Amino acid sequence: MDWKKRDTLWIYVFGAGLLALTAFLYWDQFTPEWKEYQSEFHDLVAKKFGEQRAATIPSGIQQVWVKEINRTDRCTTCHEGIEWKGFESAPNPYRTHPKEILEKHPVSKYGCTICHGGQGYATTAAGAHAVDAENWEQPLLGPELAKAYLVSDRHALLESNCNVCHRNDRETKGADYLNYAKQLVRDKGCRACHTINNRGGVIGPNLTYEGDQNSEQYDYARMPGRPSVFGWHLAHFKDPKSMSSETVMPNFGLGSKEAQSLAMLVMSWKKTDLPIDYIPGAKTADVPTPEEKAKEEQMLHGEGAFFVRKTCFICHDVSVLGVESATKIGPDLSIAYADVQSRFGRTLDDFLHNPTGTMAVVLSTQIHLTDEERNEAIRTLTAAYQKKQALEAKKPGAKK
Amino acid sequence: MTTKKSIWEKVLWTWKPATEREAGDSVVRNILLHWFPAKVSRDSLSYSYSFWLGTVSMVLFLLLTLTGMILMFLYVPSVERAYQSIKDLEYVVSFGSFLRAVHRIAAHLMVAVVFLHMVRVFVTAAYRNGTAAGQNRPLNWIVGVVLLLATFLLSFTGYLLPWDQLAYWAITVGTNIASAAPLIGDKIRFLLLGGNQIEQNTLIRFYVLHCFFLPALVLFLFSWHMWRVRKDGGLASVDRLSLKQKSEKTAPVKAKTYSLLGLARGRSVQVETALVDYDRHTVPSSPNLTRRLLVVTVVTLLIVSILAVLVPTPLEAPANPKVTPNPAKAPWYFLWLQELVTDTTIHIGSVTINGALVGGILIPGLLVLAALSWPYFDRTPLNVVGVWFARARTRQNLVFLAVVVLILVLTIVGTFLRGPYWKFYWFWEAWPPVPKNF
Repeated sequence: MDWKKRDTLWIYVFGAGLLALTAFLYWDQFTPEWKEYQSEFHDLVAKKFGEQRAATIPSGIQQVWVKEINRTDRCTTCHEGIEWKGFESAPNPYRTHPKEILEKHPVSKYGCTICHGGQGYATTAAGAHAVDAENWEQPLLGPELAKAYLVSDRHALLESNCNVCHRNDRETKGADYLNYAKQLVRDKGCRACHTINNRGGVIGPNLTYEGDQNSEQYDYARMPGRPSVFGWHLAHFKDPKSMSSETVMPNFGLGSKEAQSLAMLVMSWKKTDLPIDYIPGAKTADVPTPEEKAKEEQMLHGEGAFFVRKTCFICHDVSVLGVESATKIGPDLSIAYADVQSRFGRTLDDFLHNPTGTMAVVLSTQIHLTDEERNEAIRTLTAAYQKKQALEAKKPGAKK
Repeated sequence: MTTKKSIWEKVLWTWKPATEREAGDSVVRNILLHWFPAKVSRDSLSYSYSFWLGTVSMVLFLLLTLTGMILMFLYVPSVERAYQSIKDLEYVVSFGSFLRAVHRIAAHLMVAVVFLHMVRVFVTAAYRNGTAAGQNRPLNWIVGVVLLLATFLLSFTGYLLPWDQLAYWAITVGTNIASAAPLIGDKIRFLLLGGNQIEQNTLIRFYVLHCFFLPALVLFLFSWHMWRVRKDGGLASVDRLSLKQKSEKTAPVKAKTYSLLGLARGRSVQVETALVDYDRHTVPSSPNLTRRLLVVTVVTLLIVSILAVLVPTPLEAPANPKVTPNPAKAPWYFLWLQELVTDTTIHIGSVTINGALVGGILIPGLLVLAALSWPYFDRTPLNVVGVWFARARTRQNLVFLAVVVLILVLTIVGTFLRGPYWKFYWFWEAWPPVPKNF
């Protein structure tokens, strides 16, 4: 064949190859794994609740983006049923998520991976679960790993992630392994040698941020099997000398469950840059000083207890009854009986029933008075005014 | 008699000229064809002479520009967002992972192909001037060497952008080698990184270099390279042909040697080229050269696409300055340097020879210098130009190929045979498993 024709032929042959490859790419792009899961879930819903409800299920890649905690979780692309009622016993990825936990940890605020681990970005099961993945360090802490480590409760491993936020809890509801581990830390006296949360001894290493140690930073030379931080901790808790011969840490004779619980606990001790409202028990408000507290306590049991209980004292003194406001935003209520009359031209009784201005806002939003309480307020304030008058009269130099 | 042309024929005639005359006109009329000669020798179209490696490099560069421009819409050059945007490419952008794979494969291939192109030019002595006037092939060889270095830099700057562990530590190794240069080493590193460590400043520097300055440099040098190829009378194989033709003692070639009557110095462009018998040896560039160009383009695209589908594109854990992967490796085309650095770090008693200086700066520096000046020392006879492994050049070809083979061997050792702690592992020896959290 003449070389020109051969060149032309090659263009057609290789061009056809390119075309075929393009076709393959389109096929690959439009048949992702998640589409199958979505169509199966659609069928499940249609079967159980009818086609009309099934039509409301969103399609396409779903993601929960929580900017505050820098999470992009696309798990709900396949796990579409987590917030549906009625799939409690369906197989995954269609199962309903246990309700109690989601009520306190709404998906929109937490996403998924912060508790479960795994790779939120991924849109394939293998990529998302990232168990034994080469390039993702946080695998899904699910049944597969629990089985590998012989943890009898197959959801227990993820308790390690609970404790990233809940580390200051003495006990966390539902996190039995963690609670057990915390109990062990107290019972075995770990703090005799280790500093944990800035408290404890200095014989052993400071464990406050032990969970931030990278997997490369442990010595696996004596560890049989696949090297992992969790595995290292398990072996080390059961027999410290087996992992590091120089250690002075005693062998506490811990069993499997003890070692598992403690390994989860120490791996949860990480620095976190989570916003403060994600940390239970974290102080987000000014705390009163001990003096302020003592004063409040004393006021709470005096004559003006009612005004302390109903938080009126935040703005108002009732000086004659021994109630003192730290802010003194409003007038002293000792003379309210006459003061209301002179300010508003109305009786105290009438004003409290139909307040105006600031008090209208306060009494409709912040302080809610029952009829009974309103009457008590009027009664007490009238008495306070009389007491005040009596005191004034007794003062030397008072008009006779 | 004029035949009526369809609209398509009116638009496309330059690509499919009907007559020899139209073929000549087409390179004048079509801007995309203007850098080709009207006629081109069949020898320079040969696949087996040049393997079209320069053309393949250019196709790869265009493909990289095209995919790179799309990637620029999808990638955010910030340390907070870069990694995330690559993950998005991999998982949610339509054809994103293919796009990224094509960009990566084309980049790696470009480094390899530009290097092979240099090897081809060397062993065919194509950096030598032939007999035609106005040739300056040594200069074009220098432009070519700079293009090779620019290609390395383009690839190196792109390496950091995904902001994963692979990127971070490859750039750490690379820039640490640079810092071993005497006197100015630390300054070079500081300048490259925009500070003392790899951070946002480095990322934006590498990004701007990668997306603008280096491509602009390559585009300029490429234009110069092509312009010089035309000025030098085409490929060196044309000189070989011309020499052969002279020895055949055929009738004189129809060529005009009129001067421009003092309007310009020297002879006109037309006659500055090597002289070959047009009728016997040449064909019109359009559509013969263009057709072959299309073959090479389509084959290149196909190979890149297939590799992009088959070869997984790695994206490791996000960059973490506190955790050094073991082993930490430079990009593969610099691994021969990293291997040299290891091999030239020698402790004799209390004296340590600084491998980074010897292996990382001096040896590659000398190699580049030798490459740049080589054409000026080559004194072999003219009949070697455009000839593969000419006998008269055996010695220098062997020296050159020895260096090439050494570089390749060191690259292979560094890439495949070095495991954790830079320990040597044979191909069949498994590396210790990488530890995990769970």
